[in-house]
Amino acid sequence: MTTKADTMLRIKGLRAVVGEQEILKGVDLEIGAGEVHAIMGPNGSGKSTLAGVLAGRDAYVVTGGEVAYEGQDLLALAPEARAAAGVFLGFQYPVEIPGVANLYFLRTALNAVRRARGEEELDAMDFLAVAKERMKLVEIDPAFGSRSVNEGFSGGEKKRNEIFQMAVLEPKLGILDEIDSGLDIDALRVVARGVNALRRPDRALLLVTHYKRLLEHVRPDRVHVMAGGRIVRSGGAELADELEQTGYAWVADMPPEVPRPVGALS
Amino acid sequence: MTAAAESLVAAFRPGRAEPAWLGEGRAAALGAFRALGIPTTRQEDWRFTSLAPLAAVAFAPAPEAGGPAASLLAGAPPPAGARLVFENGRFRRDLSTGAPLPRGAVLASLAEALRHAPEAVRPHLGRLARPDGLAFTAANAALLEDGAFLLLPRGVEVEAPVELVFLSGAPGSPVAVHPRVLVVAEAGARVTLAETYRGTGDVYLVNAVTELVLGEGAVVEHLKLQEDGTRAFHVSTVFAEQAAGARLSAHSIALGGQVARGEVRARLAGEEGAVDVSGLYMADGSRVTDAFSWVEHAVPRCTTREAYKGILDGHGRGVFSGRIKVMPGAQKTAAYQQSSNLLLSEDAVVDAKPQLEIFADDVKCGHGGTVGQLDEGALFYLRSRGVPEAEARSLLIWAFAAEMVERIGPESLRARARTLVAARLPAGGRILEAA
Repeated sequence: MTTKADTMLRIKGLRAVVGEQEILKGVDLEIGAGEVHAIMGPNGSGKSTLAGVLAGRDAYVVTGGEVAYEGQDLLALAPEARAAAGVFLGFQYPVEIPGVANLYFLRTALNAVRRARGEEELDAMDFLAVAKERMKLVEIDPAFGSRSVNEGFSGGEKKRNEIFQMAVLEPKLGILDEIDSGLDIDALRVVARGVNALRRPDRALLLVTHYKRLLEHVRPDRVHVMAGGRIVRSGGAELADELEQTGYAWVADMPPEVPRPVGALS
Repeated sequence: MTAAAESLVAAFRPGRAEPAWLGEGRAAALGAFRALGIPTTRQEDWRFTSLAPLAAVAFAPAPEAGGPAASLLAGAPPPAGARLVFENGRFRRDLSTGAPLPRGAVLASLAEALRHAPEAVRPHLGRLARPDGLAFTAANAALLEDGAFLLLPRGVEVEAPVELVFLSGAPGSPVAVHPRVLVVAEAGARVTLAETYRGTGDVYLVNAVTELVLGEGAVVEHLKLQEDGTRAFHVSTVFAEQAAGARLSAHSIALGGQVARGEVRARLAGEEGAVDVSGLYMADGSRVTDAFSWVEHAVPRCTTREAYKGILDGHGRGVFSGRIKVMPGAQKTAAYQQSSNLLLSEDAVVDAKPQLEIFADDVKCGHGGTVGQLDEGALFYLRSRGVPEAEARSLLIWAFAAEMVERIGPESLRARARTLVAARLPAGGRILEAA
């Protein structure tokens, strides 16, 4: 495989297990700066596991392969170091953290990332100005900043909060794991608009999704189909249309669904 | 007898220049203590808290001079109201701060009150803190020298919190001190009283007894900030009796001591009374911290709300015992207790013993308890956003503890508690900065 000069993420032969169960069985993927890629696939195909492995979730153990992010070994970094390096994971199930206020958490995160990058920390006033501006992007009520992280949020609010966090943290690589799940059509539009607003020539996005719905709003450059822990097909945006027509049953040599391990993302 | 019991009995000085009734009370209490000795884990109320390390120590009375007060007090912000400072149990007027009190209110060192107005003290001293069956209360009654006396006549409200600061420890022989606090809040009186315990790194024993008498409709907020040294033994008991409609909040933050026990023993004696018993305790290393409470509903229509949180790390051990007794006829009682504990290491232990004893049939009572670890999902979520692991852990521990810190009304004490709790977190300084 030749590597493009502006490749941001290069995954080669990635294998990972949860407990005894091998979930990723040799994933190859390259994403260039400015590109939007979508990974689609049936439940249990390993797509959320891939997202979790890239963010450093320790329930997953990498048993083979490599991941180069901007030329460095991503797998060698702690989750917080990955964030500092510009990797962001939007969670399928954002975690509720009672007692920790949303904005307080996000300022702590942003300043930790800025510190790691050798940038100056933002004081409360400057941070608030940034946060308020980015809230508009996903139509978040400013009152929501003082609520506990995700506590009592509706499904839509949680997903909007993920995009809001991405907007504040300004990653280079955004991995959005089923950011569309559980959203009604209005919420989906808001989230998609937020994602589109965050597309930039120096930022790559990886959308993990089960359905084509999101891709009607956020048009990907490349679509990959995952099954049985591998990427079995790649193509342009039209591949998503094809999947919509045929479902996943056509996927060649599709193995039986992988049982969901406890603690896995999907 | 254990070395500790022997040394405490030996510290008894008969024939003091004091009212005869006090001397007689001391003698009776000494007899009770001699018979009881230091409690052991064979006693139900001490089942989870071994006093063996305390029992092995021979304690000496505190020396008259050369105490730690001045250095331990250095840097403390000025109090919002009156502050009485005690060094190894003795009042230090020179380090204390006065404040104007409403007409008729009395705040004095207990020794002074006993000298100048013994008849004001007599009806209440030792009335709630009976030595029967309670070894440490008996030892305190036999050996007490000083402490504080606060009398609030009917309807008197004291705005600023009254602070009592007990500074203990001395190099050389381990000292034992037995402070006694007596608060009489007559009908409709209101006050916030804060006791702070702080000490040196020496081995010492603080055996404190506080008696709170609440008249009809009195409102008392009692706070205890226990930051004794890590080698200290701390045993303190708050006794309270509430007349009709009286409201008491007994809140504690217990952070220090190699073995620390904080007891609250409240009796709801008049209808429509309410008591809140709450606190935070933390222990790491091989320290033991024990929160013990006993609330008795003697009459109908009273309320108990009890909530404790514990954070245990290393080989630290936490004990929660909460006993609520609803006496026959105490109908319409509402009582709830909750203990939540966070274990930060494999070897940390918590023993929770909620006890509801109900002898009435028309009551609402319940209890709940949790013991858990830090949520790994939340930890990963924070780290994935760039928050370093130590800071993420601190943030989650702080989120658990903060409610108990924020319950402290007086700002200077709340700030102090915040600093002390944060200092025990891996990246607490950062958490405070960001807060």
